[in-house]
Amino acid sequence: MKFRRILAMLSILALLASACGDDDDDAVGEPTPLATEVPAGDSSGEGGSSPTEAPGEVGEAPDDTAPQEVETDQSAGRFVYASAFPFVDLDPSSAFSAEHIVLQNVYETLTRFNPPGSSELLSPGLAVEWESNDDATFWTFKLRDGVIFHDGSPFNAEAVRASLQRTIDLGLGAAYIFLPIESMEVVDDLTISFSLAWPAPLDLVMSSAFAAFIMSPESVGQDSQWFNEGNGAGTGPYIIESVSPNENVILVRNNDYWGGWSAGQFDEVELRIVEDQVLAEQMIRSGDADFTFNLPFDSYASLDGVESLSVVRSLSMTNLFGLLNNVRLSAEVREALVTSFPYQDVVENLYGGEATRAVGPVPQTVWGAADGSSLPQTDLNRAAAILSDAGVEDLTLTYSYDVGEVEQEQIGEVWKAGLAEIGVDLVLEPLTWDARWEIAQGDPASAQDIYTMFWYPTYVTPTDFLYSLFRTEEFPFFNLGYYSNPDFDVLLDSADATSGTDVDAAIEMFRDAQDILIEDHAAVFMLDVPSVSVIRADISGYTPNPAYANVVWFYDLRRTG
Amino acid sequence: MWYFMRSRLGVAAAAVSILFIVAALLAPWLTPYADAGRGVPDLSIRLQSPSWSHWLGTDDLGRDVLARLLFGARTALVVAFGVVVLSVVVGVIVGAVAGYFGRWADEILMRVTDMFLAFPPLLLAVLVAAALGASLRNTVIAIAVSWWPWYARQVRAQVLSLRERPYVRAVQAIGVPRRRIIALHIVPNALSPVWVQATADLGAAVLTAAGLSFVGLGPRPPTADWGTMISEGRQYVLSGQWWIAGFAGVAIVLVAMAFNLAGDVVRDVTDPKTRQHLS
Repeated sequence: MKFRRILAMLSILALLASACGDDDDDAVGEPTPLATEVPAGDSSGEGGSSPTEAPGEVGEAPDDTAPQEVETDQSAGRFVYASAFPFVDLDPSSAFSAEHIVLQNVYETLTRFNPPGSSELLSPGLAVEWESNDDATFWTFKLRDGVIFHDGSPFNAEAVRASLQRTIDLGLGAAYIFLPIESMEVVDDLTISFSLAWPAPLDLVMSSAFAAFIMSPESVGQDSQWFNEGNGAGTGPYIIESVSPNENVILVRNNDYWGGWSAGQFDEVELRIVEDQVLAEQMIRSGDADFTFNLPFDSYASLDGVESLSVVRSLSMTNLFGLLNNVRLSAEVREALVTSFPYQDVVENLYGGEATRAVGPVPQTVWGAADGSSLPQTDLNRAAAILSDAGVEDLTLTYSYDVGEVEQEQIGEVWKAGLAEIGVDLVLEPLTWDARWEIAQGDPASAQDIYTMFWYPTYVTPTDFLYSLFRTEEFPFFNLGYYSNPDFDVLLDSADATSGTDVDAAIEMFRDAQDILIEDHAAVFMLDVPSVSVIRADISGYTPNPAYANVVWFYDLRRTG
Repeated sequence: MWYFMRSRLGVAAAAVSILFIVAALLAPWLTPYADAGRGVPDLSIRLQSPSWSHWLGTDDLGRDVLARLLFGARTALVVAFGVVVLSVVVGVIVGAVAGYFGRWADEILMRVTDMFLAFPPLLLAVLVAAALGASLRNTVIAIAVSWWPWYARQVRAQVLSLRERPYVRAVQAIGVPRRRIIALHIVPNALSPVWVQATADLGAAVLTAAGLSFVGLGPRPPTADWGTMISEGRQYVLSGQWWIAGFAGVAIVLVAMAFNLAGDVVRDVTDPKTRQHLS
């Protein structure tokens, strides 16, 4: 994925090279080939046609988007969403990366998690009301009447059962959220009940950003390839019109949407994949994009001054941490690392001063987060003392991070300088996500020492952070610090089972479980990542919701200007 | 030296080339911010514009840009000479052996050379660098892998004509070992076009290495590197902090051009035809 970014940059480089390289051609072999070889890379089949075109698109803008010109009385034309992340898998059962940005507009879920500050935790989605028995092992959902799928088939309890059954049977992506479900029963056309094997907050589970989508009976019988070709019928306000892998996804409005339509809403949405942060910033500045996120944090201050844009800062449920290799690193080394990390420097100076310090493995915005009473403080002297007491000398450690992620690199460089003062050499290893994930899933004894990672919740629960990242795994998937502690596993499992019935008790157990991780120095909990996005100032209705990272519900938007 | 003086451009090119090499060698003594040059951040002075205390401003981690440029010159110098020396050594050996022995040795070596030539040089360098992982050493290897065939071809062509010369026939006749003939009688005479190419390639190597760094395949941070400075400074250009990428770009252009022009001068000096023409 990052390799394509490389090609994009190559074409920029080719422009530079051809601009300054044509001084003499008989003595020098290199400058001339430089300018001619990039088209070869372009067509070399690395799947990279879109990014190599992308730099040119800035100049071609006027005939491309220009929503203002398309504007009519009834609709606001086309909305362009510039996404830093590609949409790899559009199968609603298995998608588990950034595809929810698309799918949340095409498919709907039974419930929806409300933005923080709302009076209720959940809003009705395709379900209008729901209830459970006292021990949260039996749930009944009443469904919305009069809803039809994009393909014209009616929405009903059987469609819900078939959709969820498909997701459960495939068992991919976030399907694990349905593990508690033992059986489903269609009570009547618009009522479905669930028997659970253990107590679980199924209403919360149904609001998941992934895997909880309801699709039409015809879609249920199809495979992933069919969905990835741009097919699939949901009940949402938009329909996928076309999919160009690595380039864009086009959505058009579903005229039969049960919520109805009013003036000023968008007819069409283009989700364009723009992996290069600087290009995305150029697009939002020039008007080629209406919305973007994941810009370099140092940019937001200057974007604040652009009148036609609004920079939207909101709570996030995303955090950044460095998983410490529990196989390679002794407890003392891990403690020294946790003690040496430059928390204040990073929070105050990087991320445009907009980040907050992490209190533990779960972001402060998620219920059940640690209380923050025992935060480690940066103390290089103490870190040095810990190492010398343990007899550790000549320590060289590797810091694996995503190539091109500006802040992760800055963090690495600042940390490295601090560690150098106490005689520890931190080697920065920038790699593409694919490459470093593959290495990390290999033998822990020869893997990286520190692995940086972002995490945002599937549905809003502490379990989501603790289970995937720290619960014992026989074959590492996301537990890339290779942490394994039976006490923690047991406590986490019982906390999760308790959360269906007694939230307060569950919170206590989650906190105890997190304290174990903090005491074991399982990872360096760096910061809660600020959520900042940029949208054109004349578009109203955008409410960021941290439970659905980076999702824009296009249906809610209106062009006002 | 006379020939250098004949052209003002040649003088300028030589001056810039020498300045670059001196700056690279003496970097730690030329700036009060040697620590910053080595990569130590000071977050309290991030992104400051050029001023008396920081002539070229500071970067995103509060490091003096001039110091980073000077230390980046060291990286560029290592890459430039590393690449050229490596390519020349491999290229000359392959070219000389292929040219002198001919027949199957020539066939095999030249087909291998053709294989490498079949790839566009920059793309091959990107592939090799991506496969080996990002580091200074790997940057050198990656570029050298894509460049040695040019030298091999050139040397082979020279050797092919040289080996038929009477003086070579003569040393063959008196029974001088073939290794000695190649090393002492053929290669030295085949090298003059190589010097021209090598000098100009020093600049091209700086340019190519900057390209690799720009796409994230250069030396690992915090090693100072011009291509990395452009790639990381690029994002700040939009918000008005042009000096990180700007000065690094100027440095690359100057050095690449200087070596390129120096290559011309070397050609004029070593080529008997142009030498006559000049004098």
